[in-house]
Amino acid sequence: MWSVFNLQWLRLKREPILVLSFITMTILFVFFIGGTQGEQTITVQTFSDQLTESELDEWIDDLNDGNHFEFEASDRATIENQLQMSQITYALELNHDHYQYLVGQDSFFINAVNQHVEQVYRTKLRIREMAQQFPDRSIELKNYLTIESESLANSVSNSNEEGAHIVSGMTLYFALYTVLFGMMNIAVEKRTGTWDRLIITPLKKSSIYVGQLLHYFSLGVLQIGICFVIFDQLLNYHFGDQYLSILVTVMAFIFASVALGMLIIALINSPQQLQAVIPIVSTAFAMLGGAFWPLELVTNNFLIALAKITPIYYGIKALKDAMLYNARVIDILQPISMLLLMGVLFMGIGLNLMERTK
Amino acid sequence: MLQVNDLHKKFKGTTAVNGVNLYLGQGESIGLLGPNGAGKSTTISMISTLLTPTSGDIRFKGTDVFKQPDVIRPVLGVVPQEIALYEELTAYENMKFFGQTYGLSGKKLTIKIDEILELVGLTDRKKERIKNYSGGMKRRINMAVSLMHEPELLIMDEPTVGIDPQSRSHILEVVRELNRRKGMSILYTSHYMEEVEKLCDRVYIMDHGQIIASGTKEELKSILSSEDTILIEAHQKSDQFIDQLNENGRIQQVVKVDQGYKVIVSKGEDLFADIFELANVCQVKVKGVHVQTPTLEDVFLHLTGRKLRD
Repeated sequence: MWSVFNLQWLRLKREPILVLSFITMTILFVFFIGGTQGEQTITVQTFSDQLTESELDEWIDDLNDGNHFEFEASDRATIENQLQMSQITYALELNHDHYQYLVGQDSFFINAVNQHVEQVYRTKLRIREMAQQFPDRSIELKNYLTIESESLANSVSNSNEEGAHIVSGMTLYFALYTVLFGMMNIAVEKRTGTWDRLIITPLKKSSIYVGQLLHYFSLGVLQIGICFVIFDQLLNYHFGDQYLSILVTVMAFIFASVALGMLIIALINSPQQLQAVIPIVSTAFAMLGGAFWPLELVTNNFLIALAKITPIYYGIKALKDAMLYNARVIDILQPISMLLLMGVLFMGIGLNLMERTK
Repeated sequence: MLQVNDLHKKFKGTTAVNGVNLYLGQGESIGLLGPNGAGKSTTISMISTLLTPTSGDIRFKGTDVFKQPDVIRPVLGVVPQEIALYEELTAYENMKFFGQTYGLSGKKLTIKIDEILELVGLTDRKKERIKNYSGGMKRRINMAVSLMHEPELLIMDEPTVGIDPQSRSHILEVVRELNRRKGMSILYTSHYMEEVEKLCDRVYIMDHGQIIASGTKEELKSILSSEDTILIEAHQKSDQFIDQLNENGRIQQVVKVDQGYKVIVSKGEDLFADIFELANVCQVKVKGVHVQTPTLEDVFLHLTGRKLRD
């Protein structure tokens, strides 16, 4: 078993490009997606034909009283020119008691901007109306109701939910990719005859399988380990203090991934076909399982049901619980058990199919 | 030593091997001769315990190899038709790994690797990766790996396919030495009849999954004792000429060969005049006509009506 295990590491040492590129891609994706999403704002070009410059500035100050939008004062001629040149897709025109948009192209963000603008207008116009009714009184808005919220978990780590989601999603996605692509070597070995050559040696077939699978398992765990260390040390992501929970989750996820690899190789034994199938399977699983966006955004029940048959869904769930809410192993037993169950099922079916072909 | 009894293998309705019987004695070298698709590789896969037969059995020193594969595996060496090596590793690393799978280690392993590399003539290239080797060198290492544990029984499945004449003659020389000097039993399959003629004591001719003839080379050639093989040397290949020859009642078989045409006739038949006359009619310029000593290729032609490499 160990000779097979060591051989696979030696082969990897000779051709490490695949694994290194997946580690690099994980880091780059987390860096760029995680680094921009946290502070993302939407800039809206704003102008007015009716308002004076000071009135426009006052409106813009009120509109900018939030974190997500940045309203910038401009003039009609500049904005029309920018719209014609497709430099911006829409702009906001402010008036005394109404507003409107100049739209060059449909934009995904208009609805969100509109909600904000509408709220500011309603508030401001209401105050103005009240002021006209009671001219001798000063009118101001007060918050009479204050809501304090507290999480069920009493010790929330420093990591924000968005960052934890990106880190866990991207890391698990690329680890799945590495494991499945690496395991394609088994299909290649069967094609080139080295697998048969091994079978007729005195080594037991179970030792050959265990040696191979242990290699891909340790490769997946190592890749995730390297990524997490880099995120922690260089990108300042915080993983809480439940390292055991994180380790158990990672191991359960990689076990399920290796088992999934066995199933795929048993179903499709041509390396050429596998090269096409593996990216489709891993990306589809990542999309369904919520590696690219939080599943809270998905409203379709069918897609949510599909998510629950992917290992990535349970991997992300357990990792986020461990990283954000310091969940202990016992707290995340449900997703870990699902990963182990998937692993056992995939492995059982895969091995059966693979051995039945002879 | 090795007995194959009434072996059958079916794949989804196709019969690849249909009732094969053969035996191989200690220190003997036998050839399995047949065209592509004859069932040679399937037979070898079953002997190697890689495939389970549909029916029949294979016994090694009296033990059923499917019930107890551990009896044959430690003493079996298989040189597969494909280059079954890890191309990203060096020759040395490949040999070391496969040596370890047979329990070799330490100094014994190192000595064995050096000895085998010397035998196949690749000592000075041992640190190069397999993917940088030429086709002939890959074939030699492919064989070397199978010799690491000094197998009692060596099965070679077309080990010289697609290589240069120099590597080919080197491989044949090594096989002959292993058989004669070390007493290794060899089962050699090929569709190159000259290799089988050179290396093997006995020959099994296989076609469509069946053994259609077997015996020593002399015994097989004696099948043609009542026939002559005539080689007609000609540049042009004319189908009309073949048709005309086939229509001649005294000619048993005709086949195109590189030099021209090969014709099998009853012994002593004088066909020279007929051949020249037909060639004249078909405007085929004949350079020469020779009566040849029969080869195994002629035996195969006689038995199947086809060339080995058809």
